[in-house]
Amino acid sequence: MAQVSGSRIVRRKLVNGFFVALTSLATLVAVGALVLILFSLFKNGIGGLHASVFTQDQPPPGEAGGLRNAIVGSLLMCGGAMVLAVVVGILAGTWLAEYGEGNRLAGVVRFLNDVLLSAPSILIGLFVYELLVRPFHGFSAYAGAVALALLATPVVTRTTEDILRLQPGALREAGMALGAGRGLVIRSIIWKASRTGLVTGGLLGFARISGETAPLLFTSLGNPFLSFQLGQPMAALPTTIFQFALSAYDDWRQLAWAGALIIAVAVLATNIIGRALARGSAHK
Amino acid sequence: MAEAMTIAGKPGRGDGLFHALCFSAAMVLMATLAGLIVALFIGGWPALSHFGIGFFTSSTWDPVADEYGAAGPIVGTLITAFFAMVLALPLAVGIAVFLVEFCPQRIAHWVAVAVELLAGIPSIVYGMWGLFVLAPWFAEHVQMPIIMNAEPGSLMERLFMGVPNGANIFTASLILAIMVLPYIATVFRELLLSVPTHMREAAYGMGCTPFEVTTSIMLPYIRKSAIGAVMLGLGRALGETMAVTFIIGNSHAFPQSLFDSGSTIASTIANEFTEATGDMHVSALIALGLVLFAITFTTLAAARLLLGKERV
Amino acid sequence: MNFEQTATQQPTVMVAPDAAERVLDVRGLDFFYGKHQALHGVDLPVARGKITALIGPSGCGKSTLLRTLNRIYDLYPGQRAQGDIHFNGENVLAPGVDVTSLRARIGMVFQRPTPFPMSIYENIAFGVRLQRKVGRTEMDEIVERALGRAALWDEVKDKLHQSGLGLSGGQQQRLCVARGIAVEPEVLLLDEPASALDPLSTAKLETALLELKDSVTIVIVTHNLQQAARISDYTGFMLMGRLVEFRPSSDAFVKPETQAMRDYVTGRYG
Repeated sequence: MAQVSGSRIVRRKLVNGFFVALTSLATLVAVGALVLILFSLFKNGIGGLHASVFTQDQPPPGEAGGLRNAIVGSLLMCGGAMVLAVVVGILAGTWLAEYGEGNRLAGVVRFLNDVLLSAPSILIGLFVYELLVRPFHGFSAYAGAVALALLATPVVTRTTEDILRLQPGALREAGMALGAGRGLVIRSIIWKASRTGLVTGGLLGFARISGETAPLLFTSLGNPFLSFQLGQPMAALPTTIFQFALSAYDDWRQLAWAGALIIAVAVLATNIIGRALARGSAHK
Repeated sequence: MAEAMTIAGKPGRGDGLFHALCFSAAMVLMATLAGLIVALFIGGWPALSHFGIGFFTSSTWDPVADEYGAAGPIVGTLITAFFAMVLALPLAVGIAVFLVEFCPQRIAHWVAVAVELLAGIPSIVYGMWGLFVLAPWFAEHVQMPIIMNAEPGSLMERLFMGVPNGANIFTASLILAIMVLPYIATVFRELLLSVPTHMREAAYGMGCTPFEVTTSIMLPYIRKSAIGAVMLGLGRALGETMAVTFIIGNSHAFPQSLFDSGSTIASTIANEFTEATGDMHVSALIALGLVLFAITFTTLAAARLLLGKERV
Repeated sequence: MNFEQTATQQPTVMVAPDAAERVLDVRGLDFFYGKHQALHGVDLPVARGKITALIGPSGCGKSTLLRTLNRIYDLYPGQRAQGDIHFNGENVLAPGVDVTSLRARIGMVFQRPTPFPMSIYENIAFGVRLQRKVGRTEMDEIVERALGRAALWDEVKDKLHQSGLGLSGGQQQRLCVARGIAVEPEVLLLDEPASALDPLSTAKLETALLELKDSVTIVIVTHNLQQAARISDYTGFMLMGRLVEFRPSSDAFVKPETQAMRDYVTGRYG
């Protein structure tokens, strides 16, 4: 029989206990940070959250006003971006999942998409500036939407590929056995079966871009007035918050906090809904 | 079904077009990356060719004299990202291990969601929190006591000197650490969960404590991918813009201490690009973007290669 | 459904070793995966210095039974056991039992080889170091002895410091046996250790086990009847979470008493 020496096992258990304590502490720090940030956000933001925030445009310093122009601008640009991103992302993800098997080019695209997924958003801003702003001599909502679309597309592509791969091969074979062509099987069977997952991809893409500031700074620039002209500069919530937060005026800072609260709640809610959908469909 | 039946007689109709559409979409992604490189290169070339190697070695960034040396922001980027990783890595590993080994399953899911939500908070919110909440607290409770108590000329003083406003390299790193934490922790958790059950059982089966199982078996087992996870976090930290812009203090000189203000490539671009008037200034900023691209692309590509099949 | 009736209707046939010979004694063991009950009132006597084989069709609970003996099931919330497992006068299932020490005394080898991500030498030294501080020369001896007893020494003596993952499947499994016995456990549990091995590797593993049984009690789960007949001293036949027949192997295979075991041995199901 092995002689298990008492002091050794006591020491091993102490080390283990210390380790458990450290890992719990690490988790506590992360959850604590989340709570702290959300707490300051609510504390500072809730006071400025009046109906006027949604009904009035941004004020000059010292006057009352809201963030309507920025909210509308954000919705327009994010909406446009999502249309582009969903179309391109779902098609590209479909190519990777359905046509990319054993294809070296697909391997490269998948790899580059994964890199784009975490590439700095400010570089996308610079790129779109060079691509659409400089040549046409002007900042525009179009440029902003394209920049956001370029950020959301990799997210949609990635989610689409993952979701489509979850569909059993038998489903494809069954469709083809009926005599349907590959494209038809994908569109009318695989896409339908993956519907929830595709929506999730869109939501995650939306969550990714709706809080983005950096790529808009030099594409859509900003606009103190409510505007629906896509060829002109347009305000967006994050850029307006940036401008107001760094200003010296208390009213503007108050609005910035209210805006930050709105945007954080929107993004977190989108994230949570996306995850819940993904979980729901995974459990089916 | 009706549609399927009618077309069933002519298999393949429209399939070629659909395939081509999907393929083109994938190529749009490739084109984005290629376009990004070309645009940054063309835009940054005037500055790069004019200043040559000096662009990387000089820390004189003077829009008035139209002199641009990017050493300050480049060093600032590397330092803040490095410190952020030093702070975030132990926390991330701790969280992942806690969730996989110690946390009751029922709670683990919710804790994991909370940690991942940290990744969902927009960068600009981190920036505001850093500037208006963290920085004042830090200045009052950390910087002031150190300044009051440090002996003049001591190492302590040199390491921690700086304007006590809380906007400095260290607080920027701290914010960055919180921001990349969820990414690294999530990947680590996935990696730990990917360790085959029989491996874990074998270790427990010979009487290992959870600490021994984790450090001797699980972490060595995921070693290679773990480095990938760290690089992934590093890539994020290097390119993060808005939060850093808020809190780093925005000075283009070499940072002299841990609590000195500084700048990163991304914060410099965000701050100056729309206000840049001279062509050379714009070009210098785009050249900075090219440098950032090269650094982050290398890091992220390495991360993906190391992570291999583990697509997280 | 037929099985269930057969299982519940069959009286348990038990020809057990003397109480004094038993190193492990399982009494009235129930086991649950959440709400699903996987073991029903199992009694299992394990004789010291012998090889006890557990056989039965897939899902009969033989692996589950094995996994209660060193409480490896503790890793999974929702799994629990009720009953008694006496080990040297202690109840393994008692709440205060220190599973870390327990598992050092009751080792386990799994279905798939599980070399740790370290060298062959370190695979063995690792477990020994958990128990006590060992000098370099003594460790060398322990490693050599353990590998020798697992019939692996001759094949690996020139590459002790290479990764254990570089060995063949059969060698990896014998490395796991060597790792298990290096800490000198009283009991070694093997969960279908040969199911992933080719016949030659299986033969080598069996030889190693037969040589080991003088120093360590072995409980082996196997789906291979020939293997059970070849190496075991006692055989327990399980069906639907119950131990149906338990007898010395020399009798069990020649003339099974229960209809269920007769059906199983003659290949009627399984």
